[in-house]
Amino acid sequence: MIRAKLHETTRRPRSRAAVVWAATLLVFSFALGACDRLMTTAPPGGDIFDAPLPGLSAAELAAFAEGDEQFGVAFAPMNGLGPIFNNVSCASCHSGDGRGRPENALTRFGLAGNPMREYGGPQLQDRAIPGAEPETVPSGMETSLRLPPPVFGVGLIEAIRESDILANADENDANGDGISGRPNYVTPPDFLPAHGGSGGPALGRFSRKAQVSSLLQQTVEAYHQDIGITTDFIVEDNYNPLASGATVAADRVADPELPAAAVHAVVAYMRMLAPPEPGPMTARRIRGREMFDQAGCVSCHVPSFRTGPSTIPVLAGRTAQLYSDLLLHDMGDRLADGRPDGQASGREWRTTPLWGMRVMRDFLNGHAFLMHDGSARSVDEAILLHGGEADSARIAFEALPGADREALIDFVESR
Amino acid sequence: MIRAFPAASGRAHLVLAGLCAVLIAPMFPTHAVAQPSDTTAIPPSLVEGGYDDKPHLKGLFGRIAVGGYADLHAVWQREDGVTDDAGFLLKRWNLLTSTRVSDHVHVWAEVEIEDGGKEVRLELAQIDFLLHRAWNLRGGMLLVPLGRFNLAHDSPRNEFTDRPLLATDLIGTALAMPGLGGFGRIPAGGMVATYELYAVNGFNSGIIDASSVGTRLTEGGDNVEDNNAAPSVAGRVAWFPRPDHELGLSGFTGAYNTYRIEGLAVDERRMVRIGSVDVRSRLLGLEWNGEAAVVEVDVAPGLIGLFAERQAGFFLETRRVFGRNWIRAMPASSFSAAVRAEGVDFDRDLAGDSRRQLSGGLHFRPTPETVFKLDYTRGRARDRFNNPIEQAALKFSLTSYF
Repeated sequence: MIRAKLHETTRRPRSRAAVVWAATLLVFSFALGACDRLMTTAPPGGDIFDAPLPGLSAAELAAFAEGDEQFGVAFAPMNGLGPIFNNVSCASCHSGDGRGRPENALTRFGLAGNPMREYGGPQLQDRAIPGAEPETVPSGMETSLRLPPPVFGVGLIEAIRESDILANADENDANGDGISGRPNYVTPPDFLPAHGGSGGPALGRFSRKAQVSSLLQQTVEAYHQDIGITTDFIVEDNYNPLASGATVAADRVADPELPAAAVHAVVAYMRMLAPPEPGPMTARRIRGREMFDQAGCVSCHVPSFRTGPSTIPVLAGRTAQLYSDLLLHDMGDRLADGRPDGQASGREWRTTPLWGMRVMRDFLNGHAFLMHDGSARSVDEAILLHGGEADSARIAFEALPGADREALIDFVESR
Repeated sequence: MIRAFPAASGRAHLVLAGLCAVLIAPMFPTHAVAQPSDTTAIPPSLVEGGYDDKPHLKGLFGRIAVGGYADLHAVWQREDGVTDDAGFLLKRWNLLTSTRVSDHVHVWAEVEIEDGGKEVRLELAQIDFLLHRAWNLRGGMLLVPLGRFNLAHDSPRNEFTDRPLLATDLIGTALAMPGLGGFGRIPAGGMVATYELYAVNGFNSGIIDASSVGTRLTEGGDNVEDNNAAPSVAGRVAWFPRPDHELGLSGFTGAYNTYRIEGLAVDERRMVRIGSVDVRSRLLGLEWNGEAAVVEVDVAPGLIGLFAERQAGFFLETRRVFGRNWIRAMPASSFSAAVRAEGVDFDRDLAGDSRRQLSGGLHFRPTPETVFKLDYTRGRARDRFNNPIEQAALKFSLTSYF
């Protein structure tokens, strides 16, 4: 009996160890088996702002990944930030590659159409690296807050034929519907002709007043103006003209601070970003779409375009459901900022695309910041701010029965 | 006219005067100072697992002891469902030496080879001048006494594969700086207290200038040559009410930017201030270990809003050792199960820019010097927009003293 007991005590630790190892293996196996749940799951591609367009080749996806990384690169004084700037990276302004928040909105200033370059206009750089002096808005200036717009879907916008955009233009309101969309022809910067631009006035498609005609221009100028990064395209830093001349040496990094390849990588990345998928069409949304059409919203928020040819095959011949005509419209007094941009007047804005509305709040911590300055916190508020050419649409919306208004809002928020 | 030598600021004068007092005081021994033959001149270990508590160090040539540790990681890490990292890494291979030059002089050194050789650095190189258990001098490349973990962080001692976020992302363990100061051990009734107080070079402007993700102390600790002729002060006091119970308080203050060049005031003097509290205890049959720290950084006016002025972090971990002698062939073996909760807020003035995570681990020690660790971590980071990023990691590591 004693021998049996001894035998038991000597066996017990071994069995305990075996239990521990078995438990470890069990946990490990469970972890592997249930890895997706335990190791986090990816949201569906249609629910995010930084998914690639479907159908890209392996080489294109490699370029996409390269550009994605560059888009997220944050700059510090040591690698070229400033001397004056607004933020440290592309991703710092575009939340999840979508729109920004009022805290990182850019301020444009000027006076009576004059961009006031001698005072640091047209954009305020209110931050500076040590040794440099940030800009301030001189008193008496007109200011305009501009929320960073989403960057997804811009490749599709770029691929839309100019003739298709112009087909919706009606500058003199020949059809008498009160809507007179017109294009913004802008003079491209000097570096564009060498990179595919014509050199003459070009149709503006991007930014709040369609004052930018190409993604390369948008990217180069954002690096230069927003982050203070010089590139092979603009090699001289942006300085505060009112600061002491001695502070030009504050940015000690040799120019250009970013090679053309990095800029092209970001441009390629943005071109290949897919817009989020719209939500399913429920009965209420179908009713909402009818109200959207009936109220006249659709006159400017044109549901879709067909893209033309593109150097990236998946961008060609595709339907872009952007809900915008990409043209300028007088939006009335409440939205007027008094600041012209190209041919856009101080009352005109480009029709903002509605795609991505469905998941917008997911990337703004549950909030909605709508219109150019983020002042509208809901679709309802945004519609009520519409004026000018959109007066009749707003009045029609206000006249809708409650259920129909909600259906319209639900439809817009599902895009 | 530019002066040939920079003028020390008022605060620098105070620090220098303090240092002189520290250096000169031992030259005039009182009756309390031990004689060389007095064994109390050699203080016992200040920090369990710290530089002077390496049981693996083996004697060579009489007075030199050599040892070290190696740490191999196998990692599978995902973020929002996308594999971020999956592979193997020789995380650390550290070489330690300890030389007793005489009864009064002890030299310690640690060379760290990190990430498979990508980084080689002198983590510790200090000369101790031992006078009395309560009063000793130390100079060299010192581990800054900022929390207990920065002083005792060897991988075989650290319970988990990863160091706490507080250590890796906030303080920048192993944070070592050239400096000079004193340390000792003071009996207080039936209890014991220890202290370390040093003047060090402090942080440099890298915490802002070299950091692309906001304020990061980890980018400014490499201040081998002082950048502003203004020493910083770091210290820690630990109280041991009972064995296995320890409460530590640490502090750090000093200017980090180059605000004076050749006597000219070229910038505002900007400070880093850090406060830390650490605890170690044995309660409810469990071993507890935790630390919390707050950081304040003066930021240039043009960078406020983008670079944090206030940061904070914490970790609390507990472990239960079991299974001693369960494996007959390994009589010194043991198992341990551990849990760690931790978080870092990189910008306390912002809703986002933070990380929180919870880890669980099962660890096996065939001998006290060697550990196999299997850890699972689940966490959530928040970007500056306060959007959540789900993170998870499964890590296995093998680490051993040698």
